Amino acid sequence: MKRPVRLEPGQKLVLTANRLLDGRTVWWREDGAWDLRIGYAVLLDADGAEAELSRAVEEAQREGVVGVYDTAVLPVVPPEPVTVREKIRAHGPTVHPEFAVETAQ
Amino acid sequence: MKLFELGERTAQVHDVLVTVGELADRDDARAVLLESADDPALLRPYLNRLDLVVLRFPIFRDGRGFTQARELREYLRFSGEIRAEGHILPDQAAFLRRCGVDSVVLPKNGNGDPGLWEKQLRQFPVAYQRSVLPERSAGPGLRVEEAS
Amino acid sequence: MSVPVGHYQYDRIDRDFLQARIAEFEGQVKRRLDGTLSEDEFKPLRLMNGLYLQLHAYMLRVAIPYGILDSRQVRKLGKIARRYDRDYGHFTTRQNIQFNWIRLEDTPDILRELAEVDMHAIQTSGNCIRNVTADEYAGAAADELVDPRVHAEILRQWSTLHPEFTFLPRKFKIAISGSPNDRVAARFHDIGILARPGEDGAPLFRIFVGGGLGRTPVIGEELFDSVREEHLLATLEAILRVYNAHGRRDNIYKARIKILVQAIGVEAYREAVEAELAQMDLERYRLTPEAVAAIRSRFAVPLLEAPADADAVLTEQRRADPLFDRWVRSNTHVHRDPGHIIATISLKPAGGIPGDATSAQIGRLADLADAYSFGEIRITHLQNVVLGHVRKDRLRELWLGLSEVGLAEANIGLIGDIVACPGLDYCALANARSIPIAQKLGARFADTALQAEIGALRINISGCINACGHHHAGHIGLLGVDKRGEEFFQLTVGGQAENGAAIGTILGAALPEDETVDAIARLVDCYLGRRESGETFLETLTRLGHEPFREAAYEAV
Repeated sequence: MKRPVRLEPGQKLVLTANRLLDGRTVWWREDGAWDLRIGYAVLLDADGAEAELSRAVEEAQREGVVGVYDTAVLPVVPPEPVTVREKIRAHGPTVHPEFAVETAQ
Repeated sequence: MKLFELGERTAQVHDVLVTVGELADRDDARAVLLESADDPALLRPYLNRLDLVVLRFPIFRDGRGFTQARELREYLRFSGEIRAEGHILPDQAAFLRRCGVDSVVLPKNGNGDPGLWEKQLRQFPVAYQRSVLPERSAGPGLRVEEAS
Repeated sequence: MSVPVGHYQYDRIDRDFLQARIAEFEGQVKRRLDGTLSEDEFKPLRLMNGLYLQLHAYMLRVAIPYGILDSRQVRKLGKIARRYDRDYGHFTTRQNIQFNWIRLEDTPDILRELAEVDMHAIQTSGNCIRNVTADEYAGAAADELVDPRVHAEILRQWSTLHPEFTFLPRKFKIAISGSPNDRVAARFHDIGILARPGEDGAPLFRIFVGGGLGRTPVIGEELFDSVREEHLLATLEAILRVYNAHGRRDNIYKARIKILVQAIGVEAYREAVEAELAQMDLERYRLTPEAVAAIRSRFAVPLLEAPADADAVLTEQRRADPLFDRWVRSNTHVHRDPGHIIATISLKPAGGIPGDATSAQIGRLADLADAYSFGEIRITHLQNVVLGHVRKDRLRELWLGLSEVGLAEANIGLIGDIVACPGLDYCALANARSIPIAQKLGARFADTALQAEIGALRINISGCINACGHHHAGHIGLLGVDKRGEEFFQLTVGGQAENGAAIGTILGAALPEDETVDAIARLVDCYLGRRESGETFLETLTRLGHEPFREAAYEAV
């Protein structure tokens, strides 16, 4: 099981998942849609995240995503995940710079 | 409760279903419920009067029921009905049948569509190992025809 | 086409079976998409078809039974890499190949492409009996007693969609070898099988049980010394029955057979297996000589013909070309036929990604296999490729062909021949990246003369405790750990996979990623400075103990 995210001061939460059809990493936008670019992720406070998370989990099947969870980011532009794992999910494998994921427009 | 027959045998309905522990005190019981942790050998003294053994799957990933069913048929020579209930998937239909299970209690969701169970039983023309069923050899090597 | 050398040739029945399996999976995908199957229900079903959901995409692990491919299968893998992936594939420590950028919706089509060349992804994952691995020099090595591939194929077939053993407590890995020099790490498998000839000519099987790496590394214990061929399947059935009924299901980390064997002891496990055998209808499970012969007849045997001077030609070419000579010394193995040799092609270019190959390289491997080794290719558990039957007088031509596509690295068994899992760059389970460390180490020890000077030294890197990089079995092992979102590496020394299997000892506290390569360089320097003439790293380690190495690794920390 995933451990609950502990936020350091100044950090925010974003919601993330993978698309069911192609497995691509996606981020939860303000309008409730999922986006390939972390730059479009909505930044949540610990308080607000819980409700958003359960809504996203509930709609996962309809929205075609799997494995919804929250993760901590630094609120820069685009948001930068705190852990190596989530940095790699946001930007692509570090060993193939040519496969770098777009993070903003 | 909707029953689905995996093979030739007609599924029987029993009003009294007891646990393994209750069998000794219930002379009238003809049907027993085996949990996945129960040892089928405990049924040995009662097999002559049992018509039905129900194997309960707590989750479809718990495969102990397959070994229990095969053991009932192969070691204990149980000739009555074996039924699977609980969390089971149509994708397991042929595995259940080949381990000696005769019927299932259909799940109450989309996995309980009898068409899915029907289809899975006919999915594979052959199998690569012997089972408790009297299956005929299918060409050279280990292969047998899957009865359907 | 002609019967392939080295692996089982499918017939119509086998091909119909694969088509049925693909149709079944297609139906499962449909039910997942319409919500009839939940993700929790679908996951084990897709895993049993080799499909994982990783960090960036799905990953498809394609089975290479006992590590053997023919050239048309290899070309098909190249095509899949080009069409459905990003033009490369990754060969794994269990002789399989993985594609990293797969879409769920493409998977039935990919499986159909594979089935065109008698390939599949069945049981390359999931809590079932996994793809069976075998000696990479099977049927070729001079030291072999029994070619294990016929029985590996029998086990592959027997375990395929086994009705009783498809929902085991945990994954189950079987390896088989027929050589006194264990090249399959038999004692690090759930079941390890060593075959040898019996007095009547039929093979006898020595069976180890309860070995494994992962969170709790355990060396397998001998269950039976001499199982007769006719009872091989009955014995395996009995071992699996005990495990399926009694293996733990309450804790994923304690669910492997090794935990059960440890808990009750190997004697009690043997008694339980014997109790099963005593109740079984042995006739039903008997592996008949006819069945074995039928399966053996589906394997082609290479016609080994070489000119009388083949060996002399090779000797002269080695004398004339020191670079070629170095490659021959590290990358070849003695063949049972004096005019032939076994060539290992390194997939570990200095600074490259261990086990990765581009579709162009994969295509070239197929061409070279056709030209030099009866169209047969083997994948090793050390993530390299073997051409099993190369004529000695044509070995230099092969080497020149390999050089053209960057596949002539002379480092097999040396420090550059690093084993690494995909790690956190791809894997959803990983805690740290394995590949960048492998690349840095590869670059640090790129000089092949230096590698030859260091001699036999194997580095294994795993990105998490699941140990897909077999770090416990490395002479030097690295285990990636996560400390508050940062990557650290724990060092072990003294592990060994083959004869005299041993689990590496942890040297000390895990090191930050950026200090790890220097620490390993100091370990190597310590060995070079203190070895006595002819000593390998492991021998020096055994003589001196761990302390000098621990001091060297941590001296600057």
